[in-house]
Amino acid sequence: MAYGSEYGSEKKMAEGGNDAELLKEKANKYFKEKDYENAIKYYSEALEVNPTNAVYYSNRSLAYLRTECYGYALADATKALEIDKNYIKGYYRRATSNMALGKFKAALKDYDTVVKVRPNDKDAKMKYQECNKIVKQKAFERAIASDEIKKSVVDSLDIESMTIEDDYDGPKLEDGKVTETFMKDMMDWFKDQKKLHRKCAYQILVQVKDLLSKLPSLVEITLKETEKITICGDTHGQYYDLLNIFKLNGLPSETNPYLFNGDFVDRGSFSLEVILTLFGFKLLHPDIFFLLRGNHETDNMNQMYGFEGEVKAKYTAQMFQLFSEVFQWLPLAQCINGKVLVMHGGLFSEDGVTLEDLRKVERNRQPPDSGPMCDLLWSDPQPQNGRSVSKRGVSCQFGPDVTERFLEQNNLDFIVRSHEVKTEGYEVTHSGKCITVFSAPNYCDQMGNKGAYIHLRGSDLKPEFHQFTAVPHPNVKPMAYANSLMQMGMM
Amino acid sequence: MAARQPYIDSDTSDEAVRATCDDATICKRFASSKSYWKDPYIQYFVRSVGERKAPEINRGYYARVQGVNHLLDAFLRKTQCDCQVINLGAGLDTTFWRLKDENLMPRKFFEVDFPTVVARKIHNIKTKPPLSKPLIETHSTDSLLLDAHSLDSDRYCIIGADLRDISNLDEKLKKFQLNPELPTLLLSECVLVYMTPSQSSNVVHWAAETFPTAMFVNYEQVNMSDRFGQVMIENLRRRQCNLAGVEACQSLDTQRERFLKTGWEQSDALDMMTVYSMLPQDDVARIERLEFLDERELLQQLLQHYSICWATKDKLKLGLSQLAF
Repeated sequence: MAYGSEYGSEKKMAEGGNDAELLKEKANKYFKEKDYENAIKYYSEALEVNPTNAVYYSNRSLAYLRTECYGYALADATKALEIDKNYIKGYYRRATSNMALGKFKAALKDYDTVVKVRPNDKDAKMKYQECNKIVKQKAFERAIASDEIKKSVVDSLDIESMTIEDDYDGPKLEDGKVTETFMKDMMDWFKDQKKLHRKCAYQILVQVKDLLSKLPSLVEITLKETEKITICGDTHGQYYDLLNIFKLNGLPSETNPYLFNGDFVDRGSFSLEVILTLFGFKLLHPDIFFLLRGNHETDNMNQMYGFEGEVKAKYTAQMFQLFSEVFQWLPLAQCINGKVLVMHGGLFSEDGVTLEDLRKVERNRQPPDSGPMCDLLWSDPQPQNGRSVSKRGVSCQFGPDVTERFLEQNNLDFIVRSHEVKTEGYEVTHSGKCITVFSAPNYCDQMGNKGAYIHLRGSDLKPEFHQFTAVPHPNVKPMAYANSLMQMGMM
Repeated sequence: MAARQPYIDSDTSDEAVRATCDDATICKRFASSKSYWKDPYIQYFVRSVGERKAPEINRGYYARVQGVNHLLDAFLRKTQCDCQVINLGAGLDTTFWRLKDENLMPRKFFEVDFPTVVARKIHNIKTKPPLSKPLIETHSTDSLLLDAHSLDSDRYCIIGADLRDISNLDEKLKKFQLNPELPTLLLSECVLVYMTPSQSSNVVHWAAETFPTAMFVNYEQVNMSDRFGQVMIENLRRRQCNLAGVEACQSLDTQRERFLKTGWEQSDALDMMTVYSMLPQDDVARIERLEFLDERELLQQLLQHYSICWATKDKLKLGLSQLAF
């Protein structure tokens, strides 16, 4: 069946190794002309004649890098080094491939090898140092030690000297403060898809960071008999649906308190508009407007699911850094009248966690892989008793008996959480002791689900559910992340 | 759902269908670059890796590619490659080149798509040696038969045609040495759904009438009458993309029915959630580690709304009905 190709390669073998060099030269020429496809083609042909040549693999590796085929680039570099472990360029290629694949530690090892063999090579040294910086930064970020004082973006900001250009006619803080007028203007501004001036964004972020950092990890509030609170679940950058919530349920005010239960950003196209609006209301009404952290208020999620890309595209990486710091100060749970506990994810991988434990959680960090802080952001209820390994690969799933024991031990009536999309916008499980509320309708423009919010009155603490459907929004895809509006499944 | 349904004229509709070729290729390019599976040839059809796709999309395409390949390869082995493959609505698919690399080529591999899509593919093949070399190597003479909308070689043939004009397609295939007596696998991935039920019925009926020993593998939407399905239909309509054949996508049963009532002997169908669970689980575990998926429900809904349906007829009694997952 393959008679054609066998004949071809026999012919080539007969013409000898000289052929291989000629093919390589041809490939090099194409490479210089930036015709990487042809370069790869001819390196491949050269390799067919002489499959034990490290240079051909190394060169093809570089061509693959140029065409973003990092996996193949890595494979070729590795092959080159298998053939000749002293081939310096091979280490370079492999290091570059690993950098592109985000494997910084592996890249560092190879740069180290090059530096050791070529101590006078300035370029090698520079690459090693750059890579080392990244590795160190990543290690630093992972460091659990709480006595490491990380320098805040706030320290390097000089907001006062940021000027607002004359031709900016958008909303501005009044005397450096968020006012009701500012909020109304900003929400309209966002609705028209306009950008808030970076100075105003920074002002909001710095102020809300300061405010949040003074809050305990467990916020405790009391609703009087005549008072009520509205609890919303995930909103995920669905700004126009957030506006709809305010339209249906009224703007936040002293008589209209709100609690947003995490996952304000990522997935949706308007994460910045959502988060700046929520932060603005927090500053305007700090005592009746509450925000809790969700698993999407973390670096890993923001990097993958759009928020980081959106901030970097609309503002800067530095501003994203500040968002990251602010998210770290978001409280993790809220207790209402000592009876209702609200958190984004759910309950714990182990029995015996108390409210006092939650008050004590040192939350100014990225969540750890396990433990109460991780569980608060990640766990899910399950129908059967006991606990199971989570389908998510993080934290756990907890049954009605776990909920029952936790509530009893802490003298609570029920928990309200979010974290999972529900067709009806909410779900009551564990015999009414575990309620899920989700406020992003038609999630990702695909799921067709309703959104919901809960009214909780101080008089009886009985949850009242309100559902709503999605409203239209401009056809915008999130920055640097092709969202499901544009990718509607398999075509 | 909204009562008003704007009329989409047929040219716009066809253009939107042709554009789905880009969707599929771009998604496959991204997923394969992330190592969900190996496809060294797709870069010659779309150079840049492009923007991130959501993890559930990557996993969805993984399930599609692995699922379809499972049945295709099983057919090739069962017939010991003494067969034909016809990929209907093939787009910029790279299967031929994979089969060549794996020494699993049928006697002849046919691809059919709209003339403009085919012209594009031929241009890429002509100008990229990694694509043309395998064709030339497997061809007995020095030159390939080439015109604006078709390319023919001994082992690979691509034809520009409209699947809704079945007699024209039949004529063209036979002109390029299609042998109806050979066991034949027909493949369609998200193709029939873009035609009306009667047009797609003509296609599967023609296949049953023409090939006495054959298998038809159809990948496309299913379970479309629920909310997720309705949202998908509405989203696509806004992109001028009309799922004209969605009637057959109501359930696994309706998918099987369309074959059983047009002359096929046997038919099976599975939704992609089931297929996903039947793929080699160590590789599934590997790809699930490539990217963290934040909301499993998204993947579940996606997989439950796509299916693979396969139908067989077996004059030569090769045991084609045994081919399954």
